Amino acid sequence: MADDIHGWSEELARDPSSLVFLQLGEALRRQGQLEVALKIALRGLERHPRHAEAHDLVARIAVDRRDFARAVEEWETVLRISPSHLGAMKGLGYISFQQGRFNDAERFLNEASAGGAGTDVDAALETVRRSSGSIPVPRVGDDPAPDPQRLFADILLDAGQTALLLDANGYVMGGLYLDGDGNDLGQEIGAQLSGISDEVVRATRHLDIGEWRSILFETHAAVVAMAPAADGSLLVVAASKATPLGLLRRLLDRCAQRAAEWLGAGGSR
Amino acid sequence: MSSPFTALLESLSRQRGVRASLIVSENDGLVVDANLRFGQDGDRVAALAASMYRKARMSASAARLGAVGFLQLDAERGRICAVGGRGDLVIVVVAEPAANVGLIRVELLKALDSLT
Repeated sequence: MADDIHGWSEELARDPSSLVFLQLGEALRRQGQLEVALKIALRGLERHPRHAEAHDLVARIAVDRRDFARAVEEWETVLRISPSHLGAMKGLGYISFQQGRFNDAERFLNEASAGGAGTDVDAALETVRRSSGSIPVPRVGDDPAPDPQRLFADILLDAGQTALLLDANGYVMGGLYLDGDGNDLGQEIGAQLSGISDEVVRATRHLDIGEWRSILFETHAAVVAMAPAADGSLLVVAASKATPLGLLRRLLDRCAQRAAEWLGAGGSR
Repeated sequence: MSSPFTALLESLSRQRGVRASLIVSENDGLVVDANLRFGQDGDRVAALAASMYRKARMSASAARLGAVGFLQLDAERGRICAVGGRGDLVIVVVAEPAANVGLIRVELLKALDSLT
């Protein structure tokens, strides 16, 4: 991949109008180099303002930066240029879902599915249908048990915020983490982030500073907070980089309370 | 004996509630320089903080969240704050639970700027 990036960079330097910026920007995005990827994509877009894939690339980078307003703007432009663009439909479906606009989400994903988007879209569509108005927003004590994927839905304030409850093995028990293509990345994200807690336990034990209560870190794309929950489980809350850390702490506290109630009720509420 | 980092570490250790400040190599967990209270084991703090920071960085990268900058761990009897992400060096502060972490974060980010 490093060789590819190097080659594409050289090609782009030789010919700034080359479309290779699409591959270069995508590779950088996948590596998490979001600011560089954005710069490359925007330069490409200046030279190719009517290129649907260029707008799609900017939209996907925007989603990774949790800049959902920009992503919507870019994907809407994609659909004006190329009305049958599956990536844009899936992306808009994902953002609509995150924002609780289930009818819009279902419409976009239906269109993508009809266009042959594949099984991942069908699965996302099923999730949207399960989460739409027919199932009320969960509250503790409600019966029957709501969808665990919507466990934190009423606590999170905007589309850039995500919460996951993981068990001691890093498996997702509740919450949801969808990427720009509508895929649920909760399991992958959970497995990667849950490893941090082992390191934290080791550090607090050796430094004799008592039980850990939370860990919070800022990345290029997001701010992330984690806290231990009952039975060795772990709560992970992520939000856009623009979210103040104090607000993130409050979200973490509220999600932790919800998780404790849910676990206390046997994970079914 | 003073080092290029002495003034930076002294400045961090002057913050209310700060027990120790260290500059650590993230890759090998060794102390580059430290301002510690008598009796503190700098090597142990450095190794654990570097390991924790490295794990957070690798996990965040694998989760495609990008590079880690500031990190804060809260425990019952203490806090660990760290910044890095620009080369191998990580600046670590160990603080009391009641320390003003907002102020410590600002000072850590300033210190990181002065390192690079």
